[in-house]
Amino acid sequence: MWSLILNATLETVYMVGVALVLSALFGIPLGILLVITGPRHIKPMPLLHRILSVIINVGRSLPFIILLVAIIPFTRWLVGTSIGTTGAIVPLTVSAIPFMARVVESALLEIDWGVIEAAQAMGATTGQIITKVMIPEAVPGLVLGVTMVAVSLISYSAMAGAVGGGGLGDLAIRYGYQRFRGDIMFITVLVLVVMVQGLQSFGGWLAARLNHR
Amino acid sequence: MSSPMIELENVTKIYGQGDKRVVALADVSLKIQKGEIFGIIGLSGAGKSTLIRCINKLEEPQAGTIRLAGQEITKLKGKELRAARRKIGMIFQHFNLLSSRTVYGNIAFPLEIAGVKPKEREERVNSLMELVGLSEKRNAYPAELSGGQKQRVGIARALANNPEVLLCDEATSALDPETTKSILRLLQDVNRRFGLTIVLITHQMEVIKEICDTVAVIEEGRIVEQGPVVDLFARPRSVAARRFMKGVLHTEIPPEIQERILSASAADRRGKTVRISFIGEVAARPIISSMIRQYHVEANILYANLDFIKNNPFGSLIVEITGADADVEAALNYLHIQGLQTEVLTNCGA
Repeated sequence: MWSLILNATLETVYMVGVALVLSALFGIPLGILLVITGPRHIKPMPLLHRILSVIINVGRSLPFIILLVAIIPFTRWLVGTSIGTTGAIVPLTVSAIPFMARVVESALLEIDWGVIEAAQAMGATTGQIITKVMIPEAVPGLVLGVTMVAVSLISYSAMAGAVGGGGLGDLAIRYGYQRFRGDIMFITVLVLVVMVQGLQSFGGWLAARLNHR
Repeated sequence: MSSPMIELENVTKIYGQGDKRVVALADVSLKIQKGEIFGIIGLSGAGKSTLIRCINKLEEPQAGTIRLAGQEITKLKGKELRAARRKIGMIFQHFNLLSSRTVYGNIAFPLEIAGVKPKEREERVNSLMELVGLSEKRNAYPAELSGGQKQRVGIARALANNPEVLLCDEATSALDPETTKSILRLLQDVNRRFGLTIVLITHQMEVIKEICDTVAVIEEGRIVEQGPVVDLFARPRSVAARRFMKGVLHTEIPPEIQERILSASAADRRGKTVRISFIGEVAARPIISSMIRQYHVEANILYANLDFIKNNPFGSLIVEITGADADVEAALNYLHIQGLQTEVLTNCGA
């Protein structure tokens, strides 16, 4: 039983970890682009801003369980399979990217506009403003935002488990629910709670440490 | 006179459209000379903030031209604009320091942007920290500093790339009076030491009085008065200027005296009530007593006040001069020749 749990925990960590890194890779630049193309920001581009916003909203409005099955052809095309942990990473990443973009957007909009304007007055380029002002100033907010995405990825990964994605959700459904193993159900829930708690505490601690405001 | 450091010609800036249209600047023209401290005073919403932000093109006017050191700022874009901005320092009411960087990091920031090499950067930052008296706070974050210290960091940061012009956007408005004085002294110091041209906007007459050479009064997007600060104090022409002066100098007549002046018209004396203003060395000469001796008039001092504008003594007197009409006229003429500003408030006994 313990090896089952350990195995499932590692699968969850793997799915969430890879999906988190990939969604950060795409979601953070997307969030930055969304912010700077906004009205009265450093690179206003109304059309692009609207298009990005609509795409992100579409992504955010699809319930994960539907997205999971809706993009099966895409998942197959991309990684060759739609089941197992690797198959789960694709829908997890796809659903986390727009979430990540919105989280980054809100962290970047938190920054005092005066600081960005001061950098403009000093003759900073758009790239310099992004890398030297916006990102460093938003670090605490970004850390909290990424933590939030990670936590929801854990819960999504459990859903992916329900359709054969592996991980703790899969274990809880197959053993805890279908085979009436109350003990496995209990421990799975416990592991999930500990994971989320640990992640949230770590994120909070790191954000506080990096905050000089 | 050489060409001005900054020249604004017919600058107009309008926000919004249709019903929500707000004219922030209406046909503003100004000339700011090299090395002077130029103050722009106005109430909030008068357009002063828009005006100063047009100088480094943080705001773009719809019409008019702005030249800085012969370069037409209003035409610059992209790379050229950024290069020009590096030569224009700016400090802000709320300091706008990077909260994620230490004092050192904040002062180094404009140098990084300009691509100054690390070694050179370090030397420059060290000397700037010394200049503003913050060497000991090198590794402190802005959140650990007082308002005055934050503004000192702001000034050091603004001076990093050796600018020709420093723009001060309400730089002392968030500070207490004591700290305001010390920041103004620092600004005056860098003005003298580096021949830096300073443009500052404020709603505080004290700031103008303390350090400015020239002043422009702005009201509803228009410059209603401009000239040397001493002239403004000696003879404010606009209503706006008088209003600003009220709190700083007692150029307004106290109510008790006003009453006396009004009742004087019923009195049997003949003469005039005059406000006399004087500045600088004139204050040292006994002009009033020699006026009384030379002309057959009597002088009754109703009110007197002495103040200092940028270390120059500035006095204002309200005097009732009585005597024969011709004598009173001659006496006033004498005061004028002596270099005093006079303004007849009322004629009495006429």
